[in-house]
Amino acid sequence: MRFLATLTLLLFAALLQAAPDHAGTEQVTVRLIAERDAVRPGGEVLIGLEQRIIPGWHTYWQNPGDSGMATSIAWRLPDGASAGPLLWPPPGRHRQGDLTNYGYVDKVVLLTAIRVPESAKPESDFPVAAKVNWLVCNEEVCVPQDAELGLTLRIAANDSAQAATANPEIQAAKAMLPQPAPWPASVTYTQDGVKLRVVSPELSAGQNGTGAQRERAEVWFYPFQWGVIAHGAPQIVGRDDDNGGALTLDMRAGEAPAHAALDGLLVVTEKTGGGLVTHGFVVHAEPAAPAAVAQHDGEHVGLPAALLLALLGGLILNLMPCVFPVLSIKALALVKHGGRADRATRLSGWAYTAGVVMSFLLLAGLLLLLRAGGAQIGWGFQFQSPGFVLAIAWLMFAIGLSLSGVFTLGNSVAGLGGSLGTGFADKPGHAGSFFTGVLATIVATPCTAPYMGAAIAYALAQSAPQVIAVFAALGLGLALPYLLLSHWPLLQKLLPKPGVWMEKLKHLFALPMYATALWLLWVLAQQARSLLPVAIGGLALIAAAAWLFGRTRHSPRRRAATLSSAALVAAACAGGVVLFMRHAAPPAAQEKTQSAAESYSEAKLQALRDQGQPVFLNFTAAWCITCLVNERVALSQDSVQAAFKADGIRYLKGDWTNQDAAIARKLAEFGRDGVPLYVFYPAGKNAQALVLPQILTPDIVLDHIRPQP
Amino acid sequence: MPSRSLLSLFRLAAFTLAAAFTCSVFAAPAIGQPAPAFTAVTADGKTLSLDSLKGKTVILEWTNHDCPFVGKHYGSGNMQALQKDAAAKGYVWLQVISSAPGKQGHVDGPAAIKLNASRNAAPSNTLLDPEGKIGKLYGAQTTPHMYLIDANGVLIYKGGIDSLATTDKADIAKAEPYFANALATHAAGRKINPDNTKPYGCSVKYE
Repeated sequence: MRFLATLTLLLFAALLQAAPDHAGTEQVTVRLIAERDAVRPGGEVLIGLEQRIIPGWHTYWQNPGDSGMATSIAWRLPDGASAGPLLWPPPGRHRQGDLTNYGYVDKVVLLTAIRVPESAKPESDFPVAAKVNWLVCNEEVCVPQDAELGLTLRIAANDSAQAATANPEIQAAKAMLPQPAPWPASVTYTQDGVKLRVVSPELSAGQNGTGAQRERAEVWFYPFQWGVIAHGAPQIVGRDDDNGGALTLDMRAGEAPAHAALDGLLVVTEKTGGGLVTHGFVVHAEPAAPAAVAQHDGEHVGLPAALLLALLGGLILNLMPCVFPVLSIKALALVKHGGRADRATRLSGWAYTAGVVMSFLLLAGLLLLLRAGGAQIGWGFQFQSPGFVLAIAWLMFAIGLSLSGVFTLGNSVAGLGGSLGTGFADKPGHAGSFFTGVLATIVATPCTAPYMGAAIAYALAQSAPQVIAVFAALGLGLALPYLLLSHWPLLQKLLPKPGVWMEKLKHLFALPMYATALWLLWVLAQQARSLLPVAIGGLALIAAAAWLFGRTRHSPRRRAATLSSAALVAAACAGGVVLFMRHAAPPAAQEKTQSAAESYSEAKLQALRDQGQPVFLNFTAAWCITCLVNERVALSQDSVQAAFKADGIRYLKGDWTNQDAAIARKLAEFGRDGVPLYVFYPAGKNAQALVLPQILTPDIVLDHIRPQP
Repeated sequence: MPSRSLLSLFRLAAFTLAAAFTCSVFAAPAIGQPAPAFTAVTADGKTLSLDSLKGKTVILEWTNHDCPFVGKHYGSGNMQALQKDAAAKGYVWLQVISSAPGKQGHVDGPAAIKLNASRNAAPSNTLLDPEGKIGKLYGAQTTPHMYLIDANGVLIYKGGIDSLATTDKADIAKAEPYFANALATHAAGRKINPDNTKPYGCSVKYE
């Protein structure tokens, strides 16, 4: 009896040890695959669970969607060993009527990292057993299934034994795992919608092409949690140009909307030259900080409140470093005239107000027009144009010079202070005041961009009449102090008595002007580095012109001086225009990466090959998301660039944005009809070219250029 | 204020459009809102309207006897125990079968009655919804999918029967029993929490 019991126990133990590494049901064949046969003590090994599913049936992702059940594994491991969480490749969507599920068809490999304890004895067995549960469904029925699987690894004595036998099936499964998204993301919740915003020039570039190019790629967000979005509802893809380009996804709120951080997988599926490529990114989106004014939400901020806030905003603009000097000096001019409140002064106040408000209305109209055209814009949109930035930088510099007393315009003794507008418009009286208003608006914009952004973003989300009203209120706010001064001599009396200090103050006020000009140059450098020499050259010419004009102001040869300084300024402008035009010419695929890529030509490649130099070829296009993402997450990474440098690998980049025929021929040589294509030619004239996969990680690139012996 | 009403009008239009485009048939009712009214044919050949049950707490249980998730809760006796508990509280328990003809779980009246007798189930009644009208009205996604409607006709719970989305009977004891808790909490006159949980199971086999 005891013998029998022992025998049964032994048999049972043997069975446990020898649980098969594969099993099958009518619908699904499951198999355990080990990354390597041997693993060292304290090491980690990936174990894959492969499901092969017959056509018409599917298994489920970690969030199964509207129904279904995620596959799960309960591990039985030797003492001290531990298993990590299941690692899931990007799922697909399965629609059944109104229900949508997230899961897998055909074949999937789910990975788990198993950690071997330090105490594991070298050369001993390491048995791994898994109880696997899954649900498999077709349109009609769901069948829960399970299997007991097992395999036995060896504990290796050292690392080399461990490295020698990496299983290509596991390598392939690893390459399909989602990567952490290299982009910041935010989420906004509305009553029925969830808007995900991913700041990524790469992803938004894919939305940039023509219709046919845009259809090449699909972007879908799969939430990790059930119910936060409607699983099957359309996800509307958009883009905006803030922060160099962002992708937005408008989704419908689900059954259990969470108004917290949103976590999930952003899956980009793109038709490329080598077939369909699926790229998953783990996205963590924090709720977007609501705009300062919009905190009250559009529902609660009525028009009067919005107008009042805009009026206050406009008033505050008077204190901004770029506006204050101009306006305070304009105001001091009133002082000079000695506290009058005659008709002319009042009219000039109104003319100035009209100038400001008209300019703001013009801006509002422009914004509305752009918005109607579908552009996603915010305040400061003008500053996305390098030409505008350059012009304002020069203007600021010129105003600074004038304040410093290098030159004066107009006839008033107080110079700029007396009639700044007059000077710039070169017309006395009310027209001058009007243009001072226009000028005040223009110089106010660099300040409004950072300070007023939130408020104006709120306004822009409203209807057209509301936008116009808010902008008019902003303008009125900006104009109000001067308007009041022009009407009440009493207020003018409150201003300090005129004197030499006014001149000193003027010189002091020149400093913020120079600072603003410098800041704008910095902005310009970010946008269009190539314009920088023109910008600086222009400053020099303007300085020269101003000096010339200022010096010869009272000389008999004034006309000649005016002409020559005008010519200098014109030269600066012409240079700017020429370079700007050149800059604005349709760009080729932008070099977003800082990597040392040379542009590809067949001749260059041939020459390098003839010398036996190692070459890495990258065929890319500005509209190819996969290409741009690969450059971002792999090719431009320091580890890869350092390896290129260390190994003397020449990195050639071919731009297929405009579907160049020579590159098309090269692609065809490798059996491709599109990008991306990555080819590595190892050193040596006759070395065989290696084609890399279409989804890259730094490891994949390094493994190819430095194959393990 | 004209601009605000303009805005609301615009929002309403946008919402209507979005709703029309996305899931016209799928409008899951919200917790705290009146449960959508319906009139249905019952397994014993009569008609029953939700309105006629005003003053009583009503339970809707979407079911499909061939679904393994339903099998988990009937096979273990969990569902029958909940039905008896509800009956003792004076609640009306309605099974709803939304499987389309020819699809898994579709049965006629007599078959539905026989099925319940065979597994000792004791719902107050069984609603036959082969066209899926009630199912789509309530946004029923899975079998089982549970709804609780209070005596005033307000929806006070929707979602799963418990927290563990498996087919293993052994998991029932380990799970957080959402629906059993909802019944008990409501009977005690307190607010149900959570009142909106993840339903799990097979998809409802609509046509």
